[in-house]
Amino acid sequence: MKGDKIPDQHHIARYCKPTHAPDGQIQATAFMLRLGEENLSINCLELLNCSGRENEVAQLQTIYATKLSVGARAKIAVLNVGEVRNHVLDESPDRRNLKVLHDPQSEDPSHSGIYNLREDDELIAELIL
Amino acid sequence: MPEIDLLTYDRWLVASRKASTAYGNRFLSEDPTGEEPYSGAWNLERGQYQQKRPYSLTPAIGQGTIDDLISGYFKVKDPFTQADLVETEEEQLQEIIFKLRTSPYISCREVADRLLTLFNDAKEDDPMSIGIVLGSLRNFYNFFQLYTDLKCPSISLTPDNNIYISWRAKKNRVFSVHFLPSADVRFVIFKPNDRHPEKQIRLSGTATADILKETVLPYGVWSWISE
Repeated sequence: MKGDKIPDQHHIARYCKPTHAPDGQIQATAFMLRLGEENLSINCLELLNCSGRENEVAQLQTIYATKLSVGARAKIAVLNVGEVRNHVLDESPDRRNLKVLHDPQSEDPSHSGIYNLREDDELIAELIL
Repeated sequence: MPEIDLLTYDRWLVASRKASTAYGNRFLSEDPTGEEPYSGAWNLERGQYQQKRPYSLTPAIGQGTIDDLISGYFKVKDPFTQADLVETEEEQLQEIIFKLRTSPYISCREVADRLLTLFNDAKEDDPMSIGIVLGSLRNFYNFFQLYTDLKCPSISLTPDNNIYISWRAKKNRVFSVHFLPSADVRFVIFKPNDRHPEKQIRLSGTATADILKETVLPYGVWSWISE
């Protein structure tokens, strides 16, 4: 349900454009907001209701193909919610408390977002990486 | 740091940094080698740019006729449009990347190739976008002209198509620079805390590119990002 907190033990996936993963290496730019964006768009793997990571990723690819122009060298970053939140909370100078909330869309029910990011958050992006 | 969660499947190409597991598969990785990723893609060699319309460098004085000088977009008969603006900016981008490629002062020869790849990837993602923000590229170019002994950084684009570069070294050293369209940069430094080895010093700030070296001098960054 929209606004529900994604539990810390769950995993999230972030689509990384080729421009965010040059030479196959995901960079901090994958975790930065575009000007005017409210949250970082992600998917919650557990909400895909698939069995196993491989099936989850296959499902994600289907979703991405319907929503995005998927680049030839695009990557998917998979992160544990609790580890990201705790790492950023512990290590950021302002003890940033990131929120990971469910934000379902009609064609993408597992869609979620990372909130409490700002557009000038290079340091937080480096911490998430 | 979040755990390393490497999974390898035959059909996945895996690329990972510490905190993330990245997947690509053959569906995503249809090899575009040898083909243009999109119709306006640039090739690497000067003179091989895939132009949709005539384009020439400004002729030297005494070369060619007045018609040669008034070539390219001056011949566009329609009113100036957004598409014209994009093409004009693209040509300026090409010029700057060409300068980066040929500058005798820039130690990292690969930056131009990396920028071209990013440009083509950005245009493939959104053909209507400028690819790389011109002001950010100018800022980046001036920085590399000013500091000529830099090691090659990782180069990526921010979601707003600005240039973002990173150097990483042992002991979790990170120095990243975001080139804004103005002369400003935002930077991030991660470095070991020498007195408390279990801790790390992390800081970020804003400066102009021309004083970045002095600004970060107390943190010993330049010693490991330069040759």
